[in-house]
Amino acid sequence: MNNGLSRRSLLSLGAGAVAASTLAACGGGGGDAGGEISKDAVKLRFTWWGSDARHKRTQQAIDLFTKKYPNITISGEFKEWNGYWDSLATTVAANDAPDIIQMDELYLASYAERGALLDLGTAAKHLKTDGIDPAALDTGKVDGKQYAVPTGVAAYSMVVNTTLLEQYKIPVPDDSTWTWDDLKRIGLEVSKASGGKVTGVQSWGFDAGGVNIWARQAGATLYDASGKVSIPPAVLAGYWQYLLDLAKQGIAPAPSVTVERAGASLDQSGTATNTSAFGTWWNTQLTSLSAASGQQLKLLKLPTNGQAAAAESPYYKPSMFWSISSRSKHPAEAALFVDFLLNTTEAGEVLLTDRGVPSNSTVRSAITGKLADTDKAAAEYLATLKVGAAPRVTPNGASGIEAILKRHTEEVLFERRTPQAAAESFIKELQTEIDAA
Amino acid sequence: MSALGFVRKRDDKAAYLFLLPWFAGLVLITAGPVAASFVLGFTDYNLIQPPRFNGLENVTRMLGDDRLHHALGVTFTYVLISVPLQLAAALGLAMLLDRGMRGLAFYRSAFYLPSLLGSSVAIAVLWRQIFGAEGLFNQFLNLFGLTGRGWISDPDTALSTLIVLNVWTFGAPMVIFLAGLRQIPVMYYEAAQVDGAGKFTQFRRITLPLLSPIIFFNLVLQIIHAFQSFTQAFVVSGGTGGPSDSTMFYTLYLYQRGFHNFDMGYASALAWLLLIIIAAFTALNFWAAKKWVFYDD
Amino acid sequence: MTDLKERVTPVPITVEAAPVRRRGRSLAKHAGLGLLTLVMLYPVLWMVVSSLRPNNVIFRSPGLILDGLETRNYGEGWNALASPFGHYLVNSAIVVLGCIIGNLVSCSMAAYAFARLDFTGRKLWFAVMLGTIMLPIHVLIVPQYIAFSNLGWINTFLPLIVPKLLATDAFFVFLMVQFIRGLPKELDEAARIDGAGHPRIFAQVILPLMLPALATTTIFTFIWTWNDFFSQLIYLTDPDMYTVPVALRSFVDATVSTSWGSMFAMSVVSLLPIFLAFLIGQRYLVKGIATTGIK
Repeated sequence: MNNGLSRRSLLSLGAGAVAASTLAACGGGGGDAGGEISKDAVKLRFTWWGSDARHKRTQQAIDLFTKKYPNITISGEFKEWNGYWDSLATTVAANDAPDIIQMDELYLASYAERGALLDLGTAAKHLKTDGIDPAALDTGKVDGKQYAVPTGVAAYSMVVNTTLLEQYKIPVPDDSTWTWDDLKRIGLEVSKASGGKVTGVQSWGFDAGGVNIWARQAGATLYDASGKVSIPPAVLAGYWQYLLDLAKQGIAPAPSVTVERAGASLDQSGTATNTSAFGTWWNTQLTSLSAASGQQLKLLKLPTNGQAAAAESPYYKPSMFWSISSRSKHPAEAALFVDFLLNTTEAGEVLLTDRGVPSNSTVRSAITGKLADTDKAAAEYLATLKVGAAPRVTPNGASGIEAILKRHTEEVLFERRTPQAAAESFIKELQTEIDAA
Repeated sequence: MSALGFVRKRDDKAAYLFLLPWFAGLVLITAGPVAASFVLGFTDYNLIQPPRFNGLENVTRMLGDDRLHHALGVTFTYVLISVPLQLAAALGLAMLLDRGMRGLAFYRSAFYLPSLLGSSVAIAVLWRQIFGAEGLFNQFLNLFGLTGRGWISDPDTALSTLIVLNVWTFGAPMVIFLAGLRQIPVMYYEAAQVDGAGKFTQFRRITLPLLSPIIFFNLVLQIIHAFQSFTQAFVVSGGTGGPSDSTMFYTLYLYQRGFHNFDMGYASALAWLLLIIIAAFTALNFWAAKKWVFYDD
Repeated sequence: MTDLKERVTPVPITVEAAPVRRRGRSLAKHAGLGLLTLVMLYPVLWMVVSSLRPNNVIFRSPGLILDGLETRNYGEGWNALASPFGHYLVNSAIVVLGCIIGNLVSCSMAAYAFARLDFTGRKLWFAVMLGTIMLPIHVLIVPQYIAFSNLGWINTFLPLIVPKLLATDAFFVFLMVQFIRGLPKELDEAARIDGAGHPRIFAQVILPLMLPALATTTIFTFIWTWNDFFSQLIYLTDPDMYTVPVALRSFVDATVSTSWGSMFAMSVVSLLPIFLAFLIGQRYLVKGIATTGIK
C-alpha cells in the first residue's frame, strides 16, 4: 500500500513538472498583427546567425530603423549556426522566442507547421510583399500560408578557378553545353597536369542543393508535393556512383581529404585554398571564396546529363527568410521592421548581398552600383539562369536531411555501402523522420 | 586508527546545517528539471507543441534503434580506452612534476595549456593542424616516406584521434593528482628513506595508498565524464558525429535527437538510460574501492 | 601512524652516487620534457602564429614560420562585434567570480558534512549528489530555462551563478570529500577535545589543510566557467550580456568567409586570463600539507 501511494505521489510531482512545460508551450497568444503601429515604447527582439561581418551590417540596419521610429527599440541577438538553433528551440519551448527570427529553408516547415510562426498574411498591412518575385515568395509558403519571406535568393553553380586552368593550359568549358562526362574529362586533365597537387574537382554530396538539382535533371524531385521522399533510388544511386568515380579516378581528392574539407569552413575548402579547380557552391558564396582564394574564380552553370528535364533544373533557393514569432506581443511593429529590411533601399544599401541577392527587385537594382565585382557576377549569374519552379519546402521532420546525406555520402566514399544500398537506406531513413514528425 | 576512542554522538543537526545550501540547490534547482526530464521520457515532445504521453514507446524504440546501439559501442570503446590512458599520463606526469626539479612551474603550466582551450571553436581547426591531411602527423610520416590520410575524417581512425585529443587534455586530472601528492606528508618519505626503502617501494607503500582517494576520485569522475563526452566530438566533427557515425558518442546522438530532430521526448528517455549505465559503473567502482582505497578513518 | 610521526627528524636528502651521472640524467629528462612540451603545444603555437597572419593566408601557409607580423587582427577582432571585446571579458569575469565564490563556500560546507559528520541518510544523499551529475545537460536545459524564465532570470547572470551558490556542482563536493577524508583524523579529534564545535573545526582545522583542494576548485571553476559555452549561450540572449565563449563563436560561420585571424587573436586574448589564473593558482596547489607546518 505504502508503495503504491509513493508511486502515485511521485507521478503527480512529475505531472506538475510537465504541466509547467505544457503551460509554457501553449500559454499566451501573440498581439494583433494587423493593428496600428504603437506610439508607445516598444521593445523587439531580433535574432540571426552569421559571422561578424553580418553582425555589423545588421546592426547598422537596425540603427537606421530605430532612428526612423524612435519609440521602437530592437535588440539584435546574433549567434553562430549551431548555437542559433539550440537557442531558438529552447526559447520557443519556453514561450520566450524573439519577435523577429531569421529562418532557414530546412527548418521552416518544422517551425511553421507546429504553430511557432506568424502567418505573415495577417500582417500584410505593414509588410508588403508585392515587390518580390512570386517564384521566390512561394518558397516561404507552407500549406498555402506565407510564414516567411525570403531575404534574398541564390542558385547552385559550379565555381571554376580560371587561374589554375590557365596555368595548366586547359580551356574554360562552355557551360551552355557541357555534361557531367565533360566535367570528369576536364577534371582528370587538371589532376594529371598538376601531378596530384591540385585535383580537378572538389567533391560534393554534403548539401541538399546538389541532390535537388541531380533529381531535377533526371525529371524527378527530392520530395513530392505531399512531402514524401520521391527521388527514385536509381537516380540517387547514380549521384553517388558519380561521386565514387570522381574519387576513384583521382579527379577528386581521396575520400578522407574530401570529407575533411567538407566538414571544415568555407575558407578551408579546396576552392578557397586553390587545391581544386572545380567546386559546386551557391552563387552568392563567390565573394567569400574569391577573397579566400586570391585567384580568379568564375561562376559556371552546372553540367547536365543531356536530358530535356535538365533545361529547367536550376531553381532559386531562398538564402534565408525573415519570419515572426506567432507569440510576439508586437507583431505589427515586427512586421514593419521586416518590411524595412526587405523593401527599402536604405536597408538594402547597408545589407547588400550579405543575405543573398535581394529578393526585392527595386532594391536589387538600386544596390547594383555599390556591389563588388564578384557580387555583380553573382547577381548576373542569377539573372541569366533559366530556372524552373522552386522545389517543395523541406518537409516537417526532414530538417536533418543534410546530416543523413553526409553520412551516406561518407559510407559510399569509404566503400562501406554501395551507391544502390546507400540510396535505399537514405530514402528509408529520411522518410521515417518525416513520418515521425 | 584513532588512539582516542571517545564515543561519537550523531551529528545530524550540524550536518543538515552544513548541507543547507546543497539541499536548497537540490530542491530548488536540480529536482524540477530532473523530474521533468524523467516524465518527458515517456512522452513524444517536439519542443514546440505540448508533450504527449506515449507510454513505453520510447523504450521499445531504443531496442530497435541501430544508431543508438552503434553510439553505445563507440562510447564504450572510448571510455574503456581513453580513461586509463589519460589517468596514467596524468599520474605519471604529476609525479614527475611534483618536486625536486628545475622549471617545474613552467612544465606544469605548459602541460596544462592544451586543457585551457577547453571547448573552444579553435579546437576543431587546431586539431586538423595535427591530424588533418596536411597536418603535423602526416608531415612526420613523410619523413619516413609514408603517406598519411585525413586521420580525423577517416571512419577507421577518427575515434582514435579523439582519444588522443582526450589524453592530450590530461591537465585536469594531473592538477588534482598534484594537489593530492602535496597532501602526503614529506615525513613519510623521509622515514621510509631512513628505513632504506627504494623509490619503487616508496611509490607502492606510501604514494599509492595515500593517494588512493584521489586516484579513486579521478577514476570515478573521468568515467562519468567520458560517458558524457560531447564537446570534443561535437567541435571536431562539426556536430555530426561523423565521418559515417564513427565518432557518434551517446550524448551527441541524444543531443541530435533532441535539438536537431525535435525529438526531446526520446532524448530524455535516452538520458535516463545513460544515467542507469553510468550509475551502474559508478556503483561498481565504489564497490571495488573497498578493496583498494585507503581512508584515514 | 603515530610512531611514524615520532621518527621524523630532519633527514639530509640522500645524495646519489655520482653527480655527473645525475646531471646527465637531469639533462635527458629536460630534453624529453622539452620535446613533449613542444608537441603538446604545437596547436596552441599554431593558433598564436595564425593570429599574426593576414586572414586570407592562414589556411594557405603551412607550419609555424611567419613572413611578417600582422597585428591588425588584434585591433579588428577587438572591435568586430557589437561591443569592444573587453566588454565580454568583463562579463565573463563577473560570472567566473560569482561561480568561484559559490563553489568555494557551498561545496566545502557540503563536503565537510559528507566527509566528517555522521548523520542519518548520509550514504543515500551522497548517492543522490553523485546522481545529479549523471544526466546530460541537454535534456535538463529546457525545463531549467522554463523555470528561470518564470523567475524572470533570463538574460541575467543569475542562472549561471545561483546554482553554484547552492552547491549544485557535485564534482567539487566529491573532490573536497576525497581530500578531507585524506586528512589525518587525529587533528579534528584533538580540536574536539579542546572543546571546538563543528563550525570551528571546519573553519580552523579543515579549511587551512585543504588549501590544495580549494586552489584546485578555484582554478577549475575559473577555467570551466570561462570556457562553458552551452548554458551561457542559452541564458544570455542580449549581446550586451554575452560572455567570451559566446562572443568568440559568433565570429564563425561555415558558409561564408570567416575572420579567422580576428577569431584566433581574440582566442589568444581570452586564453591569457585563464593562463594567468593557472600560473598564480598552481603556486597554491603545491602549498600542501608539506609546507603548511603540519608535521
